[in-house]
Parts: sequence; C-alpha cells; structure tokens
Amino acid sequence: MVEFTVPEVDYTRYTNRQLAAIPLAVLAVAILIIAGWFVMTGVPVNQGIAFTGGTEVQVAIDGPQAAAEEEIRAAFDAEPESIRSVPAQNVYVITFQSGGAAELERQAEDAGLDVRSISSVSASFGADTQTLALGGLAVAFLGMSLLVFAMFRVFVPSIAVVISAFSDIVVPLALMNLLGIELSLGTVAALLMLIGYSVDSDILLNNHILRRSGDFYESTYRAMRTGVTMTLTSITAMIVMTITATLFGIQLLAAIGIVLVFGLVTDLMNTYMLNLSLLRWYKFRGVAR
Amino acid sequence: MVAIRDNWRVILLVVFLLISVFALFSPTLGPDDPDSGGDVAAQGSATNLQYGLELSGGTRVRAPLVGVTAEGVDFGGDDRRVVEQEVAAEIDGAGPTDVIARFGGQPAESQETAQPQPGSETSDTVEVTAEGVSTDELAAALDAAGYDYETTREGVTETTRQEVVRILENKINEAGLSGGTVQEVTTAQGDNFILVEAPNQDASSVRQLVSERGTVVIEAYYPASDGNYTRDTVLQQEDFQSIGTAQDGSSGPYVPVTVSESVAPEFQQSMRDTGLAQQGGTRCTYQADPSSTEPCLMSPGLADSLRTGEWGENPVFQLQTTNVSEAQEVSINLRAGALPAQLDFSEESGGTTSFISPSQGADFRTNSLITGIIAVLAVSATVFVRYKDVRVAAPMVVTALSEVVILLGFAAGIGYPLDLSVIAGFIAVIGTGVDDLIIIADEVMAEGEINSRRVFQSRFRKAFWVIGAAAATTIIAMSPLAILSLGDLQGFAIFTILGVVVGVLVTRPAYGDILRSLTTIDR
Repeated sequence: MVEFTVPEVDYTRYTNRQLAAIPLAVLAVAILIIAGWFVMTGVPVNQGIAFTGGTEVQVAIDGPQAAAEEEIRAAFDAEPESIRSVPAQNVYVITFQSGGAAELERQAEDAGLDVRSISSVSASFGADTQTLALGGLAVAFLGMSLLVFAMFRVFVPSIAVVISAFSDIVVPLALMNLLGIELSLGTVAALLMLIGYSVDSDILLNNHILRRSGDFYESTYRAMRTGVTMTLTSITAMIVMTITATLFGIQLLAAIGIVLVFGLVTDLMNTYMLNLSLLRWYKFRGVAR
Repeated sequence: MVAIRDNWRVILLVVFLLISVFALFSPTLGPDDPDSGGDVAAQGSATNLQYGLELSGGTRVRAPLVGVTAEGVDFGGDDRRVVEQEVAAEIDGAGPTDVIARFGGQPAESQETAQPQPGSETSDTVEVTAEGVSTDELAAALDAAGYDYETTREGVTETTRQEVVRILENKINEAGLSGGTVQEVTTAQGDNFILVEAPNQDASSVRQLVSERGTVVIEAYYPASDGNYTRDTVLQQEDFQSIGTAQDGSSGPYVPVTVSESVAPEFQQSMRDTGLAQQGGTRCTYQADPSSTEPCLMSPGLADSLRTGEWGENPVFQLQTTNVSEAQEVSINLRAGALPAQLDFSEESGGTTSFISPSQGADFRTNSLITGIIAVLAVSATVFVRYKDVRVAAPMVVTALSEVVILLGFAAGIGYPLDLSVIAGFIAVIGTGVDDLIIIADEVMAEGEINSRRVFQSRFRKAFWVIGAAAATTIIAMSPLAILSLGDLQGFAIFTILGVVVGVLVTRPAYGDILRSLTTIDR
C-alpha cells in the first residue's frame, strides 16, 4: 500500500531569504523566457488557431502514419501548417494558416477523406477572442487581488497571495512555450482555474497562521497537511485526465489537464516557500517591533 | 424532529439530488418542443440531457451581415420606397431590394417585427446590403440623391439583425433542420455576429441554406407597345396568402401558391393588360436569387381563367420549377421570407465555421465520460490512501459526485446543451469540491476526537471561512467569461460558478453533517 503522509518540514533550518530565493528565481527565469519569446517571435506565447485565425481539419485515415500524411498533403492545395496524429485513434489533426473552410471541406471530400471535424476562425475574430481572453484573465486576476486584500486587510500576507498566484500563471505559460503547447481556449480556461486553485491553498495557509492562535510552525504544519493533500489530489486527477484525454484526442481536456499540472506543481513551491517566507518575515518582524 | 433539525443540510442535499435525478430522467420533462428540440440530440440516450455540437455533431456558423449604414438621414419628406429607389439608382450593383430605408431605425410600414428596441438606432437610417458597397460609395450615393446624413458606417441596424435572426429561424424550421438555433451575438469589441447552429448537418448544406438572400419575386416579361420586352415585378413575397409544400406533379415539380385576395384582382388585371394571359398560355419568370432568373410557363388553363376573371375567385396557381430540390428551395424561401441582408462568409469578415461529424461527436461524448470517471477514480484513490478511513473518504467521493449530478440535472432542466467546455467546468467543480471537502475533513478531525456538538460547530465554522473565501475568488475569476457572450468558454465559466455556489451552499455543508454523524462520539 502506498503511504501518503505529508512530511513535516523543519523550516527553522532555512532563512526567509533562502526560502524565497528558489521560487523568485523560477519566476524570474519564467519571465525571461516569455520576454525572450516576445523578442524572438513577436508574441509572448504561441497561439493556437482560435487566436490567430486559421482552419483545423480532423480526418480519420486507416493505415501507417507516413502514408496517411502523404495522402493528406496530396488532398489539399494549401500546404498544411501542421499535421498531428491522435494516438489510439487513426485521426489526424491538420491546421492551415489560411484558406476557407468551404474550400478545404470540398478538397477533403474530393480526396475521399473521412472528415471528422472542421473548424475555421478568421484572423479578425481570432484577434477579438485574444483580446477577450487576455482581458478576462486580467479582470479575473485583478478581481482576485482586490478580494484577497479585502479579506486579509494587511499588506504583506495579501501581496504574498497575489505574487504566488501571479507566478502560478506565469510559470506554466513559460513551460508552454518550452514544450510547444499553444495557447488555446482550453489553456486559457486552465489558467483561470489556476487563479482559483492557487488562492485556495494560500488562503488556507494565511488563515491558519494569521487568524489562529498557536505556534507559527505548528500552524504551518497543520495548514500544509491539508493544503498539500488538496494540491496532490488535484495533481493526481489532472495527470490522469491529461493522459486519458490525450489518448482519446480530446484536445480541450488534455490542454486543461497539462496546464493545471504545471500550475499546481508551481503552486506547491510558491505556497510553501515564497508565501511562507513572506508570512514568517511579517509575523516575526511584527512581533519583534 | 431533532433528527430533521440536526441533519437539515443532508436532507437539503437529498432533495436537490432527487430534483436533479427527476430532471435528468423524467420523461415528462423531455425537450419542450419535439420539432426544434432534442429528438436528434436525445437519440439513443436515456436522459433528458441535450448535447451541444461538439458532443452530438453538427455545424456552427458565425458570421457578420453584409452591409453599410448611413445614420441620421434626412428623408426630406420622401416616402421610404422613394428613398430606397433613389439611392439604389445611384449605386452600381444594388437594386431596390438591397437598399433599406428606415424611420427611426424601423420600417415605416408596421410590420410585426418592428418592435422598438431600447438602445437601438433612433435616427432615420439607410442601409445598403449589397456586397462590395463601401461606406464612401453609400455617402456618395446619398449626396447624389440629395439626402443629408450624419455618418456612414460598416454594418447594419439592430432591426435588420433581428429580422435576419427571425427569418433564418423560419428557414431552418422550414428546411426541417431540427434542433437548429439562430441567435445574435455581440463581441467584447461591439461587433455583431449572427450565430447559426444546426445539429447533424454538414457545413456546406447549412452555409448554402443561410447564405442565400432567398428573395422570390414573380416578374412579368412581355413585349410592350413599342415592341421591346419589358420586365415588371408583379408579385412579391408578401403578396402570397399561403404557400404549399413542394410537389412533384405529372408536369414536373411545382409549388402551389395562393395569392392574397387584396392583390389578386390587380394581378389578374395586369396579366390581362400585359397580354401574358393569352390563349394557350405564355411565359412568366420567378426569381429565387437576384442573379438567377428562372423562366416558367403559364399553362393554358391558368391563362384562360385569368382572362375570364374566374381566377380572381380562387387565386391559386402553381410555380413550376425545373427540379424537386429547387421547388423545395422556392417553397422554403417563400415561407420564411427574404433576408434583408446576407451573411458574410468571406475570409476577412471575422466569421467562424465549425463542423463536427456525428461520429466524432459520439466519440467525444463517450470518451469524455470515460475521462471524467477515470479522473474521479484517481481522486477517490488519493483520498482513500491519504485518510485510510472509509468513513471519511467515501462520503467525500459521494459528495463530490453529487455536485456533478446536481449540475447535470440543472443542465437537463433548463435544456442547456452540454459541450466540452461544460465538461471542463464539471472537472473544475470536482477539483475545487474535493479541495473544500479535504479542508472540512482536516479541520473537523483535527486534534483528536470531537466530543461535543459545540466543538464540531466551531471547527466547522472555521473551515467554512476558508471555503467561502476560496469560493468567492473562484466566482470572481470566472465571472468575466460568464458574462461576455463569446460562447466558447461561457459554458465553462457558468458551470464552474454554478458548481461552486451549489457546492458551498448545499453539498459541502452536508458533507460536514455526514462527517459529524460518523465521527462525533456524543451525538
């Protein structure tokens, strides 16, 4: 039987600087990656066709992959931007930078391909979606920050929550760049979910330390036992979901799953290193004064 | 009585679950309208759930309307029709049917669609809905025709959009695309789109149906006194009293139509005057599309009855067409009416099209269900391993699942179509739900046994502060997407918020009660 107990970390061995250094370094690297990406490609993250415009065609073809790709290239006049295959099913996802859905549908049918789905987004509509998604993310983040400040009414613990939530979003974005995952509606949904998940464990920690009587380290341990359980449960569920959804070719769920896994792992680090060190600094400096 | 008062939260949860199960499975609560409802979506499913396009297959088309509008036009006392003709005469490629003049943003004639809309244009407007007409051309045409105006802009008026939605709905119903919907959507940037969804239809047939203006006019084509052939519009859409369904008769396919009594005598007279109703019959034309005019013949019998005046007593004739599908098209167009403006499917228009084959939809439906179940199993396994106590973990899994059942019941009850984004919402709800239940469990069971109800209550309240705070942040984070009507992520946001609300108010407190009854020593 697997043992699952949250280990008690001896935080007294580390200074606040040591604790905060690692998450801040990770955040800095993530921001550097995104900034570098922006300089190199002109966009902070790779965007999918929902944002850039384009057409995605899914076709089912039996047979070996190389032959199938050959058949796909022969079928369409336009050069596909990418061809991906869905494991466990003989389905290929083909994306085109441009080209009308009607034209591509006709070409696919003329070539006798079994069209599973076609979705086409025009560039201007994609730009609108992008504004909406970024705006939604910004408003969500701002709303969350205001609410956190309203709930705790003290600066340091509140800003600790906000910074770690920020990092929870930025680090997965950088990882998406590195791993070639495109920003899609699914990943935007996952980033929004991350705001909620990330704040969960931070509020729990702040609440235990600030609003409960008792020793700092004891409160921390109690909060950690609950918080780590929560986050690990979510990570397990999301890893399983990502694997299943990838096998089935349900891109939306797979995208949500992978981004949440990144974000939740980042959240573990941020909550119990960055947030905790800020809280400890706040608590003991306050006591000393 | 004491038991009820103590366990009211659990009882509330059970009531919610029963209502949801009823909404999900009761045959009495099936889709409201068998014509437009889920006889397609409900195929092969035992529940009342309706599935969106991603899970059932079908086509979704989102496109703006072709057109330019001048606002604040001074008609100078001219009649609407006069304005339309004057302006149309000044624009290349636009006929009178492509120009719409409206008083105060509404048609001057009282049509049943002319509901005053709050916030819609209040000035007099002229719209040109022909393709390829720029705002500058409209401005020039208005200048040339001698009408003052304030501004010209891209797009059409609110009233026109509503007419388009109504007519497209009619067309979809007439064409028998069950479950099809048409709605107007506005993006965050204020752009207006028409969104058409049709289950189980492929993209090209839907696009064909909605992209045609569908203007049908009966024109007389006859030699005038000077010997040249003249063309007159003798009957328009609104002149027909009733339109039959397309039929395939011995003399070829046709659509039986009845001309309304008020127009019939006039039509009869003009047929006689133009000499079309001569012995042996003659030619007439009908026009289904401004670019294509189809000729049709007047039968000797009809010509005779027109001449004798008998026809006026029973103003019925048959519109002949060359083939059956054309007859169906004419019938649909005549019944549904002509679109004042057409949908713009060009690439730069900002539209989107998506088509999901029914087999893909069915696969997604099964596979996403399997994915969800596997995710729940993973959660269950983790909490069982963590707590090593079935009394804690089992109710946790059951409570988290009951949130999904309640949400599914809600979706079935209001007929909200399930899409992948809604399923993503369910996953988010299970995720935050289990998080909250872990907080409750840890808080309640902290530091040994609970030996009185008072201790339990105090711990429960503490746990609830965290849960409430987390719920509030989730709701705030999701609300922008729930409000903006951009569709694709709206379902996700709505169901996440709903799940959090149901969770915090109903299911998660009930878990607290269940846990208490299982762990409190002194009850």
